[in-house]
Amino acid sequence: MAIIEMRGVTKRYERGGQTLTVLDRLDLDVPQGDFVALMGPSGSGKSTILNLVGGLDSSDEGRITVAGNEVSSMSRGQLAEWRSRHIGFVFQAFNLVPVLTALENVLLPLQLQPLSRAERRKQAEFALSIVGLTDRMHHRPKQLSGGQEQRVAIARAIASDPDIILADEPTGDLDRDSANAIMDLLRRLNVELKKTLVVVTHDEMAAQRAQRTLHLDKGRLLDRGTAPPATAAAAAAR
Amino acid sequence: MKTPWVLARRHLRTHWARTGLTVAALVVALYLFCFLVSLVTTLHDSVKSAATNRVIVQSAVSLFVALPIDYQAKIEQVPGVAATTKFQWFGGYYQEQANFLAEFGVDHDKFFDMYDQEVEITEGPGGVTGPGARQAVIDAMAADRRACVIGEGLVRDPDFGFAIGQTVPLMGTIFPKSDGSAWEFNVVGVYKPLKGNMDDRTIWFRYDYLWETLQAGAAGGPRGVGVYSVNIAPGHDPATVIADIDALFAGGPQRTMTTTEAAFQAAFVSMMGNLPFFVGTIGGAVVFAVMFSVVNTMLMSARQRTHEIGILKALGYSDGALSRLLLGESMMLTLLGGGLGLLLAFVTADGLRKGFGSYLPTYTVQPGTLLIGLGITLGIGVIAGLAPAIVAGRLLPTAALRSEG
Repeated sequence: MAIIEMRGVTKRYERGGQTLTVLDRLDLDVPQGDFVALMGPSGSGKSTILNLVGGLDSSDEGRITVAGNEVSSMSRGQLAEWRSRHIGFVFQAFNLVPVLTALENVLLPLQLQPLSRAERRKQAEFALSIVGLTDRMHHRPKQLSGGQEQRVAIARAIASDPDIILADEPTGDLDRDSANAIMDLLRRLNVELKKTLVVVTHDEMAAQRAQRTLHLDKGRLLDRGTAPPATAAAAAAR
Repeated sequence: MKTPWVLARRHLRTHWARTGLTVAALVVALYLFCFLVSLVTTLHDSVKSAATNRVIVQSAVSLFVALPIDYQAKIEQVPGVAATTKFQWFGGYYQEQANFLAEFGVDHDKFFDMYDQEVEITEGPGGVTGPGARQAVIDAMAADRRACVIGEGLVRDPDFGFAIGQTVPLMGTIFPKSDGSAWEFNVVGVYKPLKGNMDDRTIWFRYDYLWETLQAGAAGGPRGVGVYSVNIAPGHDPATVIADIDALFAGGPQRTMTTTEAAFQAAFVSMMGNLPFFVGTIGGAVVFAVMFSVVNTMLMSARQRTHEIGILKALGYSDGALSRLLLGESMMLTLLGGGLGLLLAFVTADGLRKGFGSYLPTYTVQPGTLLIGLGITLGIGVIAGLAPAIVAGRLLPTAALRSEG
């Protein structure tokens, strides 16, 4: 069963008086527990898909259903509330709040959940332990390396136990070793915590961690995204 | 939907220089506002608390021209006059000129009865307190021509620390002693003011001591009476009594100008020009200028945090929660600064009253003034926080996340 279902989705932007069609009648299904890598040239619509699925933006045409909810018909207020329960975001630039510590950053989405202070704290510490940063929880983002910052961002994304994690170029600002570590971590979330992951990336090596890779160009999917057997076997071996 | 208040606190603390400067501006503005408004309310209060059954007779030429001493008996013959007392400004200082005090020569046998609604005798000779203190003081005044009664402020003030039984030497400026020595007054009682037009640092002494000394040539200065204070008998119209008194002396030798006590005290305020308007304008302008400064601070802060707003929206915080965050931060900032300014105005009131001395002896910061200040503080907070709050609420998450701020 598809946890993400996009049907005939079109998204246009107005730029300098011209209309730019970023997504063109796109159909996409992502089954629950899938790990999908979205690849394609800049401007092909990869990040737009994440924004639409996460309810950060709205489509011009088509229907988007995520975790059983028709996102395309929700109000901004409903989307915010829905997002806090179902979606975890990981961004290329980490997007941590600089004035807060790692722990406080992870606590941010938990404040929206019906939990006691102690429960929130426990859950945030658990999320940080998953990404291996328990010993850095009281550090501010400036005191962490890029790889550590991204791990805090991942901890924040999983803290409230969402169904889906959307990652937009999560390794784009990292060196190779850190990028590998982050992709391994995302892979673990998929395998061990059964999270559905949609990752936008330009990095072929990063995409190899996914169960399947979808290629986009000019707002259209080029294939159905079946992973090559060798890649799938390598991923399974990890 | 919950609001991440931790961010408001943390931003105010992290950007301590910006916060500190804005808070300092608010402290100064609200302090100044309270101070200026208190000046005006103090002046107005002295007028408002004036007795309605009392009129003041002064020279029609000027307050600084003395009236003949024999006018008192004639005034007492006017229908509706219940009692009169002389009032003579002495203008002396204690030990050095900086210790300038308000001293008045009065009719000791009438004054305390006429002013029983304004002055309460709290202590008499021999430490007498309670209801008996008043009569004890009147008796002591009658027995000693150098006797005087002092305000409790002069007992409390360590610069003076006067006490019953003490002889207080005062150098006369209007009435200097011929041999250059000080006048001596024996303290026989302490009073507490009951109304806002009466301060707690005045010395009341016997007018006849002054008069007899002048007559004996032992001191120089104008002969006569500064003003006569007249209590009107119940059931009589003050306007009629005023007209009758002035008509009585219309042919001289010294024409009089009789006014109600309130009008007399209002004249003192008007001698300073349109002070309330002037003071109000300055206070308003300062607060207005600081409001723009706080608005600017909040707009800058919100602009720098556009990206953060985007992050919070991506995490699931609602538009309303983020509007509340920005508005709440503005309120925290202004309440901190404004609150400190109001507190400072309140705690320095005693010191200022002392500093003003005889010029504004009843200076007080009233609760109403503090409430107005608090209202202005809250108003600044709302105005400064409203625009950033609206912008934060309306921002699209994707647009905010693309922002560099």
